[in-house]
Amino acid sequence: MRWTAGIVGALTLLVMFIGSWESGARRADVRVASADVFTLDPQRMTYMQDLRVARALFEGLCCSDPDTGDVVEGAAKSWSVSPDGRSYTFHLRPDARWNNGDPLTAEDFKQAWRRLLLPDLAADYAELLFPVVGARAFFAWRASQLEAYAKGEKHSADAAQDLWRQTIARFDSTVGIEAPDAHTLVVRLEQPVPYWLDICGFQSLSPVHRPTLERFSRIDPETAMLRTEPGWTKPGVLVCNGAMQLADWKYKRSMLLEPNPMYRGAHPAQALSVEIVPIEDASTAVLAYESGSIDWVSDLTAEFRAELVNAGRRDVHVLPAFGTDFWSFNCRPTMPDGRFNPFADARVRRAFARAVDKRALVQSVTRLHEPIATTLVPPGSIAGYESPAGLPYDLTAARAELAAAGWKDRNGDGLIENAEGSVFPPVEMLFMTGNPRVRGIASALAAMWRDGLGVQCDVRGKDGKFAKEDLRAGNFMIARGGWYGDYLDPTTFLDLSRTGNGNNDRGFSDERFDALLRDAERALDPAQRLRLLSEAERLIMEEEMPILPLCRYVTLYMYDPDRLRGIVRTPRLDQRLQRLRMGGGDAQGETP
Amino acid sequence: MSASGGMSGLIVRRMLQLPIVLGLILAITFALLWIIPGNPMENEGRRPSAEVAEAMRRQYQLDQPGAFFAQYALRASGVAWIVGSHPVPFDLGPSMRHPDWSVNEIIAAGLPVSATIGLGAIAIALIVGSTAGVIGGLRPGSWSDGATQALALVGISVPSFVTGSLLLVLLAAKLRLVPVGGWGTPAHALLPMLTLSLPFAAYIARLLRFGLADQMQTHHVRTAMAKGLSRREAAVRHALKNAFLPVLSYLGPATAIAMTGSFVVEKVFAVPGLGRHFVDGVLGKDITLVMGVVLVYAALLVLLNLLVDILYAWIDPRIEIAARPQ
Repeated sequence: MRWTAGIVGALTLLVMFIGSWESGARRADVRVASADVFTLDPQRMTYMQDLRVARALFEGLCCSDPDTGDVVEGAAKSWSVSPDGRSYTFHLRPDARWNNGDPLTAEDFKQAWRRLLLPDLAADYAELLFPVVGARAFFAWRASQLEAYAKGEKHSADAAQDLWRQTIARFDSTVGIEAPDAHTLVVRLEQPVPYWLDICGFQSLSPVHRPTLERFSRIDPETAMLRTEPGWTKPGVLVCNGAMQLADWKYKRSMLLEPNPMYRGAHPAQALSVEIVPIEDASTAVLAYESGSIDWVSDLTAEFRAELVNAGRRDVHVLPAFGTDFWSFNCRPTMPDGRFNPFADARVRRAFARAVDKRALVQSVTRLHEPIATTLVPPGSIAGYESPAGLPYDLTAARAELAAAGWKDRNGDGLIENAEGSVFPPVEMLFMTGNPRVRGIASALAAMWRDGLGVQCDVRGKDGKFAKEDLRAGNFMIARGGWYGDYLDPTTFLDLSRTGNGNNDRGFSDERFDALLRDAERALDPAQRLRLLSEAERLIMEEEMPILPLCRYVTLYMYDPDRLRGIVRTPRLDQRLQRLRMGGGDAQGETP
Repeated sequence: MSASGGMSGLIVRRMLQLPIVLGLILAITFALLWIIPGNPMENEGRRPSAEVAEAMRRQYQLDQPGAFFAQYALRASGVAWIVGSHPVPFDLGPSMRHPDWSVNEIIAAGLPVSATIGLGAIAIALIVGSTAGVIGGLRPGSWSDGATQALALVGISVPSFVTGSLLLVLLAAKLRLVPVGGWGTPAHALLPMLTLSLPFAAYIARLLRFGLADQMQTHHVRTAMAKGLSRREAAVRHALKNAFLPVLSYLGPATAIAMTGSFVVEKVFAVPGLGRHFVDGVLGKDITLVMGVVLVYAALLVLLNLLVDILYAWIDPRIEIAARPQ
């Protein structure tokens, strides 16, 4: 008995052991080390690595050319805009197909967008569609219906189905998304959105293959919510319309993409398969690259960066990204516990901003020599947009601002006091622990403010979740921030300072600023609109200063430019895995 | 009264205790997860608008902890399946952070990987550790004893991210004997197994060395030697079996720890094992994933401890099994 059990156990383990092996041969033409992909459901994506894969697997109505930023055609071969800028009519390619051969229709887009607008899905990017007529109201309506259902007594499959039917009917009758025929999609907006085509190219608005999704969806009788089972994005199941298709996906182990033969103008001879390998440890990723098993390390973080960059290697690439590294000032009148908040005063905020030597930060603290920033929107990233100058490093001006606000060293102890003789309260600086770069910047800022302005700083590193709670509650004086733009328009950055915006951690509220954004929304002339936005940015970067920009974010890639081509180097780093090519020669020649 | 009667009693009792133990552990884990601030649907930079954030909380009933836990427990335990209200038994739900994967799939993918590395590491540790322990234990105080004990001390105190990185640089990057990181072939498993085995090997060496040195001093071993057995023969025939008992009791939890995955080793070698999934789950507050993994951990620990008790009784029949009547 005893032995039989032992043998059975040992055999089971042996089978488990052998079962997890596979051949050691290289499976793909290009191997990319990347952060782990969270989901392949385009409507539920948030992370950059997910969006990057989605750009290969799915094709939206249009897309922005990664090199020029211009909007070019995608699944739609053409579109027209009504004179008032509120109505877009997209004409899909009649020959567009899913990779299983099914025709791609306007209904696929409509239902994908409806999906994005369902609170059931709780999509991070649902609000991208809020400019559409009736979209926001539809989201709110469905959310309130679901809440009422959850609170109500009557929970049954029939009642849940009934609510679902009402939801579809309501979407069709109130939301400005229509598919009059199989190849036409009409979208009506509440007001003109100049960057609307850029949004249409965003991955959250990718179409979905309805029959596949329907097989995995059900209405949950408990909550009346639409639930999608975790199976429809698996290899062999996922149906996509992009230049690539999913050949294999093992959880946190590897993902294999291969060219989609059904994709229009497929270049079978040149198209490469791409394997994405999640390697979290930076040193392991670098070693894997050095040993030749990885061709492209697509995001190197933290400690390794400075050493590699300063080694002057040809295969280490530092690329400015469409993002800004900044710190936030708490602009609320008081701290959450009622204490005095010196940063409620814009003069104090300006003084602290002027006292930061950003060049020293990027040279000796981060050591990556990032482009320093005096504005929030990366200058030069948006065509036709003129960035304001912002405030330069100027200690004399900083001290003068503080003095004007009543803070100066009155008793010669090296610390500043107000007229009543109270010392400037210790500046509570909040950041998340675990990132040596942020810790280094925090310490350097504290030293600059102590030496330059005569204030004490309380540098508080907190664990992620606790730091987030403090950030949301406004329990900080200065906190680490940062932002990557989602679409090519200044508002993707400026909205952060709008009164009541969900990402306005600073609690900043300024009537003039809000009015400028509102005026810009109504402006019909694009140049006039950009002028208004530029004025709005000047207001927050030169006068009100809720945000202290430090530098542009940079992304660090490792790849051999003589071996691997097709990697986008423009600030949005809008990578297209389908454009990767091996070997030297002309980089732009044959890209589809 | 045969020993196996007591044995089956023990097994039955432990099996009956298992659901209670698991239920308690699950409840405590859930309570702890609930206390941690934050929301699994939230990511680093961007935060959705208020209405979307509210929808996120509702999506997984995060606003109703009681209902959430009750439903989870019913599905995970298989009760919901027996009653017929849920189509799948032991359904641990979808991962909250990786909605494309169910927790069952994640565990099924990660556990064999971690178990392979863990079992390999324990096997290496047993061979290396026993050898070193016997060398030292046979001649306490000799130079070979000093050397093995010093090595064991290094093995225990140097953290695995250091040994792992060293091995990686040396064997994989410089000598190119094995691939750098990843998973797929036996060559991929070699370095993680080796790295993970070191602290276990060192601990086994120390346990065995002291056990053997003690046993060599006992009356029966000294009698055996007085009757003409060599030191080595006396050790093998009479001392080793008893000296091995502490190692055996250590092996139960050690195997469980090794098999359920070392986060550090898995991270350094980019191995898709359960340890990495678990720590990522905790950091991301992936409630369903963490609870599922804890459940598997707990079950493994209980079962391996039971296995050790059974082996104990087999090796040394003098040890009483609690269930055996006098």
